[in-house]
Amino acid sequence: MSAPLQVYEPFRAGLPPLRKYWRSLWSRRTFIAEYSRSELREQHFDSIFGQLWLILNPLLLSGVYFLLIVIIGGSGGALRYGHLTASLFLFYLISNSLSGGVKSVTAGQRLILNTAFPRMMLPISATVIAFFKFIPTLFVFLIMRTVLGLPFGWEMLWAIPIILIALVFALGVAILISTINVYFRDIASFLPYLIRTLLYLSPILYEASALKPELRILQHINPLFALLDSWSTAIVHAQTPELASMLAASGWALGVLLVGTYFFLSREREFAVRL
Amino acid sequence: MSSLSASNALHKTGDLAVSVNNLGLTYTTAIDRRPTLKARVKSLGRGTKQTRVVQALDNVNLDVTYGQVLGVIGTNGAGKSSLMRTIAGIIPPTQGRIEVFGKVSTLLALGVGFNPAMSGRANVHLGGLAAGMTRKEIEEHFDEIAEFSELGDAIDAPMRTYSSGMYARLAFSVAATVQPDILIVDEALSTGDAHFKEKSFNKIKELRSEDRALILVSHAMATLREICNDVAWLHKGKLVSRGNPDQIIDEYQDFLHLGKSSAIDEDL
Repeated sequence: MSAPLQVYEPFRAGLPPLRKYWRSLWSRRTFIAEYSRSELREQHFDSIFGQLWLILNPLLLSGVYFLLIVIIGGSGGALRYGHLTASLFLFYLISNSLSGGVKSVTAGQRLILNTAFPRMMLPISATVIAFFKFIPTLFVFLIMRTVLGLPFGWEMLWAIPIILIALVFALGVAILISTINVYFRDIASFLPYLIRTLLYLSPILYEASALKPELRILQHINPLFALLDSWSTAIVHAQTPELASMLAASGWALGVLLVGTYFFLSREREFAVRL
Repeated sequence: MSSLSASNALHKTGDLAVSVNNLGLTYTTAIDRRPTLKARVKSLGRGTKQTRVVQALDNVNLDVTYGQVLGVIGTNGAGKSSLMRTIAGIIPPTQGRIEVFGKVSTLLALGVGFNPAMSGRANVHLGGLAAGMTRKEIEEHFDEIAEFSELGDAIDAPMRTYSSGMYARLAFSVAATVQPDILIVDEALSTGDAHFKEKSFNKIKELRSEDRALILVSHAMATLREICNDVAWLHKGKLVSRGNPDQIIDEYQDFLHLGKSSAIDEDL
């Protein structure tokens, strides 16, 4: 093994050598795990009540929204409640990744100014944390759907590729928003409104099939629409999701990840100066 | 202390470790402390510039070879930290080229990567991983780190309960255990009480070896005279002179019109 040679030169806009970047990112995976775990522990998710809150919070939320649907929409039912809860849980995976990712780079200022490491680690940790928070809710839902008497079937296994697509999407938005936040620090304050809007535009409080024809365009402009629709079809209705929806969801997820990654990688060497 | 890096034996004294050619660095810093969308929209069409340009380094040429212990001196704002950060790959240069032959570890600030909510023990792992050690290496050296930091039972208490001295001691102990080919230390030696200063000073001396390059930034002239075998003096982003430690430090102190006052010599 020869001594590793590093060359630093003025950079032009563009990407760093990708293979090398990936290798150094991969070698830091234990740090990503440890960093995420310490963040979780800081938010008290290692204690029993912390874990309980993790489950209680989305459950209470789904209860509140169910109340809203019943009062405004005038209809309830086990299927409706199951759909609402499952969709909300997956939505929370993405919104947690967004809200955790937005400040990941700016909050890592000390780390960035004093150590050389692939900066992408920071938004990746945000997504890992969001995923750790998602896992217990998945089990809660499985118990809940048994209690509600929803149908079981092998088609539910489609949930696995859908979770993967959701993770890709969550990572993409975390990377993208963390970059934007370096240049515009007030994005973090707009974020709650953005998330709220996305929640109402997505088939969560209603089912995709219940959408009025004149609002069908939402299907195409909301990046989460196809994803959440497929998710509900698979895990609530235990049916095979439409191929078109799965492809649309994958397309959005990969698109966001590619754009976010390009944006991040071409800017990250400047972060140290910008913070 | 045993060496962590297996590749150490590869470097021979006199081999090039760091080569800095014609390095220039300009910062374009935002005048706003926090750049915001709101501010940007407000200034639209007004043509006001939101940035200020600072020339931090200007045409610096510097070679460091293995076996060398280079001290870097200069007044505040001379560009010392900027030079260290460009060599470490944290900030890309605006001009010129830097070549680094070997694994670099930086000790630019203490306790980087630490999480105050967690115990000292957990932070040893976190800090070690941040510095590029593997989990196994940290396990192997854990007792050593704990002992060196002299924290005793406090190692299991959350770090936010630590005094600043305890915090610094643990951070230094972790950093000193990472044994890279090239170590860059920026003002990190002035931690703890006299007893710990002495200990960390000895630790740095121990780290000096034939197959390692050390770059130390410090205002502690007495320390540099004792540890270094080479000194570079930076002033306003330019390399003023480089060479024999005693000679350069004398020049520098004459330049400051301070002579050998005790304030400079004592500052370790």
